[in-house]
Amino acid sequence: MRKSTLWITILLVLTLLAAGTVNANEYADEDWDEIIRLAKEEGELVAYAPTSRLAIAAQAFEEKYGIKVTTHQLSEVEMIERTYREAVTGINQVDLVLIEDLPSMYELLIKPGHLINYVPPAAREAVPPEHQNPLVFVYQPRVIGYNTEVYEEEPIESIWELTLPKWRGKVLMRDLAITGEHQNFFAELVRRSHELEAEYERFFGEPLVLTEENAGLEFMKRLIQNDLVIMTSDTRISEAVGARGQTDPPIGFIYVYSHHRHKEAKDLALEAMENVKPFSGYSYGMFIQIAAKAPHPNAAKLFANFLNTPEGYEAWHNGVGFYSMNKNIDPPEDGHRDSWDWWAERVWSYDVEFATQNRGYILDAWMRFMNY
Amino acid sequence: MTTVGRLIGRIRMKSSPERLLAVLFMIVLAYVVFVPLLVMLKETVLVHPMERFQIPGAMPGDFTWHHWKTVLTSPTLVKPLMNSLIIAVSLGLLSVLVGGILAWLVVRTDMPFKKAISNLAMIPYIMPSWTMTLAWITIFKNQRIGGTQGIFQYLTGIEPPNWLAYGMLPIIICLTLHYFPFGFMLIGRALQNIDSQLEESAELLGASRWQNMRKIIFPLVLPTIFSTFLLTFSRGLGTFGAPSFLGGPVRLYVLSTLLHSNLVGQRTGMAYIIALIMIAFGVLVLYMDSKVLASRRSFVTISGKSGYRGVTSLGKLSKPIGIVVLALMALVVIVPVVVLAIDSVMLLPGRYELSNFSLHYWIGPASSTIGLGTNVAGVLRNPQILEAFGNSLKLSLATALICGTAGMLIGYAVVRLRGTRTAYLLNNLSFVPYLIPSIAFGSIFLALFGVPRGPIPGLYGTFTLLVLACSVKYLPYAARSGIGAMMQIGPELEEAGEMAGAGWLQRLRKIVFPLQKGPFFSGLLLPFISAMRELSLVVLLVAPGTQLATTITIRYTERGWTAYANAVMILIVAVVLILEYISRRLLGTDLAKGIGG
Repeated sequence: MRKSTLWITILLVLTLLAAGTVNANEYADEDWDEIIRLAKEEGELVAYAPTSRLAIAAQAFEEKYGIKVTTHQLSEVEMIERTYREAVTGINQVDLVLIEDLPSMYELLIKPGHLINYVPPAAREAVPPEHQNPLVFVYQPRVIGYNTEVYEEEPIESIWELTLPKWRGKVLMRDLAITGEHQNFFAELVRRSHELEAEYERFFGEPLVLTEENAGLEFMKRLIQNDLVIMTSDTRISEAVGARGQTDPPIGFIYVYSHHRHKEAKDLALEAMENVKPFSGYSYGMFIQIAAKAPHPNAAKLFANFLNTPEGYEAWHNGVGFYSMNKNIDPPEDGHRDSWDWWAERVWSYDVEFATQNRGYILDAWMRFMNY
Repeated sequence: MTTVGRLIGRIRMKSSPERLLAVLFMIVLAYVVFVPLLVMLKETVLVHPMERFQIPGAMPGDFTWHHWKTVLTSPTLVKPLMNSLIIAVSLGLLSVLVGGILAWLVVRTDMPFKKAISNLAMIPYIMPSWTMTLAWITIFKNQRIGGTQGIFQYLTGIEPPNWLAYGMLPIIICLTLHYFPFGFMLIGRALQNIDSQLEESAELLGASRWQNMRKIIFPLVLPTIFSTFLLTFSRGLGTFGAPSFLGGPVRLYVLSTLLHSNLVGQRTGMAYIIALIMIAFGVLVLYMDSKVLASRRSFVTISGKSGYRGVTSLGKLSKPIGIVVLALMALVVIVPVVVLAIDSVMLLPGRYELSNFSLHYWIGPASSTIGLGTNVAGVLRNPQILEAFGNSLKLSLATALICGTAGMLIGYAVVRLRGTRTAYLLNNLSFVPYLIPSIAFGSIFLALFGVPRGPIPGLYGTFTLLVLACSVKYLPYAARSGIGAMMQIGPELEEAGEMAGAGWLQRLRKIVFPLQKGPFFSGLLLPFISAMRELSLVVLLVAPGTQLATTITIRYTERGWTAYANAVMILIVAVVLILEYISRRLLGTDLAKGIGG
């Protein structure tokens, strides 16, 4: 028995080592010129994404290479459903996907091998290895926003303040039950409960008295019981917080920061908080994957490469709130917020494995507290 | 010899065209209705990848009762279920009440402006239900959801209370304003068909007007009232937009939002259980309705239309009532349209300044500096949107034609076989697609027709799949209309034709169809309208070349560029209205007939 365990261990280690070496040289004998040639021969590709910006990049790609990209904008649920159905039925249409909500994608599409991680030449050197598997396209922050017309300074310094009577009925948040990323993030709050507990004690000077299993759920419960206002759209949250002429404006909780792009155009008195403890928001990634049975695999690779160049990235670059990990791509023009490191110090990200396993628990707790 | 002859005779009798038709339709419907239900049922007892973490030791694909146990014992089911039922029942009752009163005023009184009122009363249904919701929020919002003031508060200075701004009351009101046209059209038609001689006889016998109403009119329209209730009740149960938009701010949840949440949470098993519960309630009401419909048969013989129809005089009140009703109708129609239209001509949302008004999102070039800098060309010069719009038109026409034809044939079979179990089954089976929530329906169709199965080729990504899904989903409208229309031709005409030696097809062509031309074209309208503005059913089924007007505009709403989506919506409403007008002029269609009145 013991002997076999040893053998298995050795075998495992060897496999891992082999995998490591293969990884390093994975693309060694790839003939990129040949890929470009084949891609042009394929002449077209199909891409799914949760964002409309991909359509703009697709147009630029077509102009450059003469390869037509058909883009489909799909929600997380729809993208999983379609990609999965295509894979199991063998009627493959999609070549490349941009995906968010990594836990679901990982569990439902990546693990079963329906999607593969391809790192194109433009990303191999330029994107740090820790962001290569899965290949990060952009990171995006979700922030806590306030109205600058009424508040000259950030109105809160601790996240626990949102559970106080002062903010009763004054916090807007997109419904967690229909937002996969929120479910992932609240799983992270559970995972890092001790930090939430420590922050409570720092701010109030007394230990947190738990009525739930952990401080993560305790925070969720108190936030909800403080008459949290549930919204269905981040756009509306940013407008509601930033609209001028309000006397008692609400706080927008963890909405997508990229909505700040329209601040001037929409005349919003809107700003994101930077110094809330222990987090000023959270970040999530958008990743590039290629379909395992892509009908146009070379065109997909070429497009993946294009998206990793400044040219292909243009549609994201002219907005705020998107951060590429590619060092050849300039950071957004957004004052002191132009580096991802700046955000990384202020917002939390989440542990994919933990989020995957605990999302159901989070959703159940949410429904329980919301008194469904 | 004689036995063989008898056998052939029996086969011939059994295989009468209507029976063949009925069997054919039942096979097709069983496939597109029962198979999806079985697929759903199967999904509810399987472990799904993301659900396995809550079931110790389970692997994806394992068999489990966990979802059923969780859902049925969960307290989180009770409130949404109750809320859904309250909304559905209220919507059903109010649609009957509002639609009924309006129908009575238009058909049975001397109220003025009848024509304008009946034309306006149809429009709310053409617009998607969320336009009403959007209009409501724009007017009655209070500071709970922050942002700029609502119009009501701006005008009166009074902040609307939460119960008026969000939650149950506005949900029910908005849905009623959207669905009351069903009641108006159905009950209106029923009232028109009542022979006034019945009332006259009653009057001669000394019945008071009230007695007349209670003893004659009401029993005669009762089946129609039940039909209206069934149609609107099922919609109330399945509707997602209004409850999620108006319910969220005060935490009101319904079954459809619960279904959606479980889908987002990747809890397919639980989502489908909720869908099945919704279907079960629909079937229950369908069962009650068919009980009532069964009793309608005894009335059919007397529902021939006579030339004379009694009109109740409203006396001095007739003009004021007419004005009030007209004003209310105009309000209900115009406000949502105006809210949409204004939004589509404002460069930046929410800024009511003259300089902010522009047709940029309609006819402007792609620009990154004007307005929101969307880099998207205006709706009318955007080839992608126009192509998608063309696809929508094609889809709607194809759906309408298929639904209309199938509906007529089903109607023919059901009416000719009246009283048999076959007719009963076919009638109810053809209604079931109406009860399956669109989100679930789309994903099952993808699973069912994605791959080749038997003689059916794989349809994934084809236009045919869209047509098929929409045709099945909207068949209930057409079937109801077909049955209603066929009820009115007695079998004598056909029998006469048969005597004269006309074959079945000839009879259909020479007798049935000419008589049913009007109802046939009327039956096309509802499937046409519905397919034109469908979103949740088709979003999974569209492919690169088959984008629709609704599916292509979601990419703009996602980024808060609602101007494009609203402009497309106005285009859809305009196209439907124009086509409706043309078909009314040229073909004499009547939307009311299309709903099976």
